[in-house]
Amino acid sequence: MIIVRCISWMRKHYSLVRMSFLAVLALLLIGDLWVPRHHVHFLGDEIPGFWALFGLGACALIIIGSKWLGHAWLFRPEDYYEKEGNK
Amino acid sequence: MADTFFFHPALLFFAALPAVPLLKGIWRQALVLLVPLVAFTLVLGFSPGNHGVIDVQGLHLVFGRVDKLAIIFANVFTLMSIIGAVYGLHIKEPWQQVASMGYVGSALGCVFAGDFLTLFLFWEGLMVFSTALVFLRRTERSTRAGYRYFLVHVTGGLMLLCGIFLHYHQTGSIAFVRFHQDTAGLAEYLILAGFLLNAAVPPLHAWLPDAYGSATVVGSVFMCAYTTKTAVYALIRSFPGFDILIALGVVMALYGVVYAVLENDARRLLSYHIISQVGYMVTGVGIGTALALNGACAHAYAHILYKSLLFMGVGGVVHVTGHSKFSELGGLWKYMPYTLVFTLIGGLSISAFPLFSGFVTKSMVISGAWESHLNWAALGLTLAAAGTFLHTGLKVPYFIWFWRDKPSFEPPKKEAPLNMLIAMAIAAYYCVLIGVNPSGLYKLLPFDATYHPYSSQHVMESMQILLFTMLGFFLLIKKLYPEPKVGLDLDWFYRRGAVVFMAFCRNVLRMLDDKVIKNLHKTFALPLLRGFARVANWNDQRVVDGVVDNSAQAVLSLGDHMRVFMQPGILSRYIARTLTVLAGIALLALYLR
Repeated sequence: MIIVRCISWMRKHYSLVRMSFLAVLALLLIGDLWVPRHHVHFLGDEIPGFWALFGLGACALIIIGSKWLGHAWLFRPEDYYEKEGNK
Repeated sequence: MADTFFFHPALLFFAALPAVPLLKGIWRQALVLLVPLVAFTLVLGFSPGNHGVIDVQGLHLVFGRVDKLAIIFANVFTLMSIIGAVYGLHIKEPWQQVASMGYVGSALGCVFAGDFLTLFLFWEGLMVFSTALVFLRRTERSTRAGYRYFLVHVTGGLMLLCGIFLHYHQTGSIAFVRFHQDTAGLAEYLILAGFLLNAAVPPLHAWLPDAYGSATVVGSVFMCAYTTKTAVYALIRSFPGFDILIALGVVMALYGVVYAVLENDARRLLSYHIISQVGYMVTGVGIGTALALNGACAHAYAHILYKSLLFMGVGGVVHVTGHSKFSELGGLWKYMPYTLVFTLIGGLSISAFPLFSGFVTKSMVISGAWESHLNWAALGLTLAAAGTFLHTGLKVPYFIWFWRDKPSFEPPKKEAPLNMLIAMAIAAYYCVLIGVNPSGLYKLLPFDATYHPYSSQHVMESMQILLFTMLGFFLLIKKLYPEPKVGLDLDWFYRRGAVVFMAFCRNVLRMLDDKVIKNLHKTFALPLLRGFARVANWNDQRVVDGVVDNSAQAVLSLGDHMRVFMQPGILSRYIARTLTVLAGIALLALYLR
């Protein structure tokens, strides 16, 4: 099956896949210097690489913020409602 | 003839409903496929107009209001019913198919309803048939979730009905038309609350992950498409430009993202992302410009297809393995590769990757926010977009298909059934088609605004956000490892609230009954009752008996007197009395002449 073979190949050449992913990221940052701005809505639209930073920051904020909220307050054992509900 | 033709597609579904359990095997399969296909073809031929108008007791009921807004929703609803029917084709027992057909029929009824009473009728139909889809999982958990789902929606339905009655009382109209923010009062806001509950807007949202995570595999594929999107349709119809919807929508988009981080159950995670995605549509309705409203419609269209694709992919895994928790799954790429590819296409579509459907629809809403100078809303929605990719595009595939070499249980021997894969392929085809060639979808949009998604700036912006989110995902992956926990949500209030209520009944009320009411009964109520009894007894003996006895005696003696007077036995007296009476009659007759 071609899908399984592709994935096996990618898993075998993991460092190559990672290098090419990082290369794409670098290309995106460099390429952003020449992209014309037709719709400038606010300051961030004019800074090259702003949205890359935004994406990375958003990801970190969402993961760390939500997990913190979960551990600080929201997490309960998985049978929380079943156990309490049957009492 | 062609431009006035109308046959209500819901009729097809409801007419075929009783036949489904009567047919067997291939005939039933043929019927459940044929009905959506015919309905889809019908809707393709519709043109605007009012049909099915009935006047009952002065009420103007419109069953078939057809305009561009109704057509785009009916189009995607019937398209989705084809996909869902294919996906559920393997089911041996008929009841899920019966419930899903009734469900689709009700959604179509809502879409074509031209007045609030018709809308309400089908709105409740939605609730009944979707509750059946939860119950049909036939586990204890799903039964409990089904009751909760039903009760929450009954509440929502009542709010809607109260709103409709109040509105009718105030204006004398039940027409299902646009409201204006300046003139909206209690009635309109009650209707809005009913709509918002079905759209799963926090704090009225907790029913959604609860029910969709517990429903049958096929049921949740149907449910993810219709209930919330019917509500979005109703919002677009009646509440465009209501400012409160902008804030609610943005909060909603972020709320779903936060809870998706905490979620360990794949279908519940997808459910939280429905809330997040519907947030975009609600924001679009709140902004209320032509571009934003078009964005809400287009996003609803694309969302139905990619979200059902995701539910179909994850549902396939649940169907084959019986597991839906990330902490138990993993390493399935060797075993279910096709399902992986289709789920990835769904993930890329919901994440708004260029060339996939989300890219050409989600951005319309965000652009609508930018152009209305609502920068905070646009930034909030962009933040939620990053979170969407993080979870649905990355977390779901990664923790189901990769992560470890094999799952915590015996790995499945086979792929999902062929009919499921075909249904996924159809949905995936539309996701890519809309992404590559959006003009087909844009032509269906009801409002007058043009939009071009593929500018180099927009593509670059999206790629940066998405790929750097991906970088962040792999950097922070350790933090995302699944934890077998549930996150508290607002259903706590009624789930724990019910427990507290039962405990209150069991402890406090019973104690009150035992201690206080029993004693009260003994010390006050019984003597009081005895006293009443005594008074009644005396009354009976003295007053009632006295009256009855005396009156009997009086009747007797009166009778005696009468007998002696009336029947003396003397002939002359009889004759004299008869003549007197006759003379009296004769005099009366003369006088009256």
